[in-house]
Amino acid sequence: MKKITPYLLAVSLMLVTVLTACESTGVNTPVSDSEVVKPADSAQPADQPVQAQGNTADYKQSPFLDGKGLPPVQDRLPKEPKLTNELPKDALDYQIGTYGGTLRTVRTDVISDSDLFIIENEPLVNTPGVLGEEITPNVVQSYQVSDDQQVFTFMLREGLRWSDGKPVTIDDVKFAVEDVLFNKELTPTLPLWLVSSSDETGKPFTFEVVDEHTFKISFDKPYGGFLIQLAVQGWKGYTDFLKPKHYLQQFHVKYTPLAELEPLIKSAGFQPGEWVNLFVSKDVLNNEITQPKAVGFPVLSPYIQVKAGDVIEFERNPYYFKVDSAGNQLPYIDKLQSTLVQNIEMVNLKILAGEVDHSYEFISIPKVPLLKENEQKGGYKVYINNLHRTANDIHLNLTYNDPVWRKVVRDVRFREALNLGLDKNEIVDTVFYGFAKPSEIESIEHNVEKANQILDEIGLKKGADGLRLGPDGNVFTIPFEISSANSDYIVLAQLVAEQWKQLGLDVTLKQIDGALWTTRNKANELKATIAFTPGPVQWARTEWGQNTWAPLWDQWWNSGGKLGEEPPQEAKDLFQAIFALRELSLEEALVKRNDIRTKIGDQYWYFIHSEDIAAPVAVNARIGNISDKGWGIAQNFAGEQWFFNK
Amino acid sequence: MLRYICNRLLQLIPILFAISLIVFIIIQLPPGDFLTTYVEQLRLTGTEVADSTIANLKAQYGLDQPLYAQYLLWMKNMILHGDLGTSIQWNMPVSEVIGDRLMLTIIISLISLIVVWAIAIPIGIYSATHQYSFGDYFFSFIGFIGLAVPGFLIALILVYIVFTQTGVSITGLFSPEYQGAPWSWDKVWNMLPRLAIPVVIIGMSGTAGLIRITRGMLLDELSKQYVITARAKGVAEQKLLFKYPVRMAINPLISTIGWTLPALISGEAIVSIVLNLPTTGPVLLKALMVQDMYLAGSFLLILSVLTVCGTLISDILLAALDPRIRFGGVNR
Repeated sequence: MKKITPYLLAVSLMLVTVLTACESTGVNTPVSDSEVVKPADSAQPADQPVQAQGNTADYKQSPFLDGKGLPPVQDRLPKEPKLTNELPKDALDYQIGTYGGTLRTVRTDVISDSDLFIIENEPLVNTPGVLGEEITPNVVQSYQVSDDQQVFTFMLREGLRWSDGKPVTIDDVKFAVEDVLFNKELTPTLPLWLVSSSDETGKPFTFEVVDEHTFKISFDKPYGGFLIQLAVQGWKGYTDFLKPKHYLQQFHVKYTPLAELEPLIKSAGFQPGEWVNLFVSKDVLNNEITQPKAVGFPVLSPYIQVKAGDVIEFERNPYYFKVDSAGNQLPYIDKLQSTLVQNIEMVNLKILAGEVDHSYEFISIPKVPLLKENEQKGGYKVYINNLHRTANDIHLNLTYNDPVWRKVVRDVRFREALNLGLDKNEIVDTVFYGFAKPSEIESIEHNVEKANQILDEIGLKKGADGLRLGPDGNVFTIPFEISSANSDYIVLAQLVAEQWKQLGLDVTLKQIDGALWTTRNKANELKATIAFTPGPVQWARTEWGQNTWAPLWDQWWNSGGKLGEEPPQEAKDLFQAIFALRELSLEEALVKRNDIRTKIGDQYWYFIHSEDIAAPVAVNARIGNISDKGWGIAQNFAGEQWFFNK
Repeated sequence: MLRYICNRLLQLIPILFAISLIVFIIIQLPPGDFLTTYVEQLRLTGTEVADSTIANLKAQYGLDQPLYAQYLLWMKNMILHGDLGTSIQWNMPVSEVIGDRLMLTIIISLISLIVVWAIAIPIGIYSATHQYSFGDYFFSFIGFIGLAVPGFLIALILVYIVFTQTGVSITGLFSPEYQGAPWSWDKVWNMLPRLAIPVVIIGMSGTAGLIRITRGMLLDELSKQYVITARAKGVAEQKLLFKYPVRMAINPLISTIGWTLPALISGEAIVSIVLNLPTTGPVLLKALMVQDMYLAGSFLLILSVLTVCGTLISDILLAALDPRIRFGGVNR
């Protein structure tokens, strides 16, 4: 650190003069294989917050916090605050914001608001734009990866504090790991992502405290994808590895004798001795931040929940660890307010009336024209970002328990014919109103004649009524069962059914309840359905729909051959390629991803019809630091950077 | 009379017990449980939930217990502690979830009921006494519209018109600053004007129906011999009308109180969803959809209690009002 100080001072001076043009996106070089120490903000000195070294009096706080009897802002911030970098430079031209205001959202679920969850979520390390192409330290000050991709060392930010002002220490990490993750009662089975490989040879990670700011997570096999797991997979937060021990220990049997816990257990409505239930009901995981129990819970997120109920209210966390390049403590907006409404149409009405400042999940593409028309009147703006996953892909269950069905659908020529039968342009136009493009992962050729020819060749002859017969002489039927959870699904399914009927196939359609869908999917009872897969777009994820298009193969793979059925070699190759992503470093993984796309393109494992699907989001027109480049979800991650223009 | 009431009250116990059992079983009939729905929701948003987290939640909500154990626990807490259980979906005690909403619902329902009666009975009497006049046709026409058009559709149209004309979304019962605020006179004043729309819409079909019933009943009565006799004896027309036929004509109103109470509370569900009212209907619907069994179960139980009590009240009132019923048993 010392040696770059003069450099820093020069840069700081420069920054002062060009304050308004400041960029804040921290560009750290991608993780390399070598042992590279990556102190949070020193890789690119230009990104160092003003006066981070030496004179710290220049940090600024929101007027909202003035006169609240808090310690001065520099004492609340860590020694080296995180310079915010939620979006890469090419996605956002960062502007220094102004403090104040309340961000209003709406939700239809009683206790979860996905807009707020994503704003609040803070992973240990983050990946700007949620792209997975580079990883920068976030809650932690820095990290190190060993050459063999087995040992990950994390350094905590010195002076980082929980929202109640208590310091974050290595004890909090020890508590989260040793007393929760490694506690058999609280964590009967360790999540797969904390195990060195997804098959039976996988061993849990080992944990080591190096010094009072440093800890090591090691695996017995290379696991280069671990960082991307921490950063973005499944929207993880810091809560797996950091828990406020000073608060939670009063509910943990190791620190508080069971006898003392009993009254608490009783008043929480559990049976005597059920301290685990008590602990779980008090601990707040990252995705539970909007639940009533999160009121008063110490967090590291930009806002703290102050009121639960129909209207959930959040206020800024005075100890939040991020600043902008002008030294302003983030977030800019002081309060969040989420209102419960009874249905989605109500959300649209409230947006039209200008009563909502940000809504991401509830804006569907068919509503865009209506919303655009009323932009002026409602004082909002509709941004069209990209979606972080392919939408509703089409799956045929290759492991459904019926020999005739299997014989037909496992023939790659059959799947090729079906792909030829899909008019992807029509799908893009009808389902997405043109806000997408046909996916080229699989051929986008639409050729009914050729498809019919292939189907004839593989022996699916047409019967007297013009419908193709299976090898057993009965009409071959593709029965779609569609979850009613997503309204797009049914539109797509109707279209696909019509397109495949052109091939002389008997396609039926049934809409079922979401919970029933899950049950039937798990029991391998769905023959044909529609479900989304993040894999092809958000490459770092291991979900490429294999639990829908081949549940038994997927089980076999995940259980190390104990359950399910052994997949054929081509499928094994694909699974191998997908799970190898875990072991690889970032650059290698990026290359590998194309391999997987090719493998899917060759084998038509499932049908991916569209890519680059738009994710419209309605935002108050006065809010700054939002753009229409990059992924919608990434814009949402950057909530602490938004501000109200005066 | 007192004995009769006591008898009826005692009968409530087995009925409510049976209802609670059936309700609990029916809620659990669909595949999966609350957590299946919860995990499915998280999965749709791309959030991973670790298996052990799910196991922990299962234990926390007692979902790992067999059905009968869940039921017995619910019953035990309810009878011994008056505790309706915890709503899994809301993460709050059921009583807290329902409390405010039930009060608002009852306020809306009662006001609606009063408005309905206040409008329907005079109009019904007018229509009957001025049969085939312009006024009769006019009110019949309006009444048929009110009967035929579902309340939620009228609500939608109203919301649309108000929004396009004024740019205001007339939703909810309070303006934003009072939402979730503790009760105060200011809050009540804030609510009253906003009550008008739901009260009118919820009351609309009831009013229309009641006009038709009152008119029909009264026409029946008016042509009966006792009316003719009374008129022949020279009883003043007004006095005659209100002393005899009208009393007969409003009998159905009282005998239907039994199902008016629960219908008003659950029947406003769709209107409440459209108008975004913080009442019980939408909560019940959602609880049923996600299999939040303690919340849904407690709700249905409360509705059952209301139905049964309503029936009791209407029986007592009928006996008090209608001498034919009161003396019906004595002749034996």
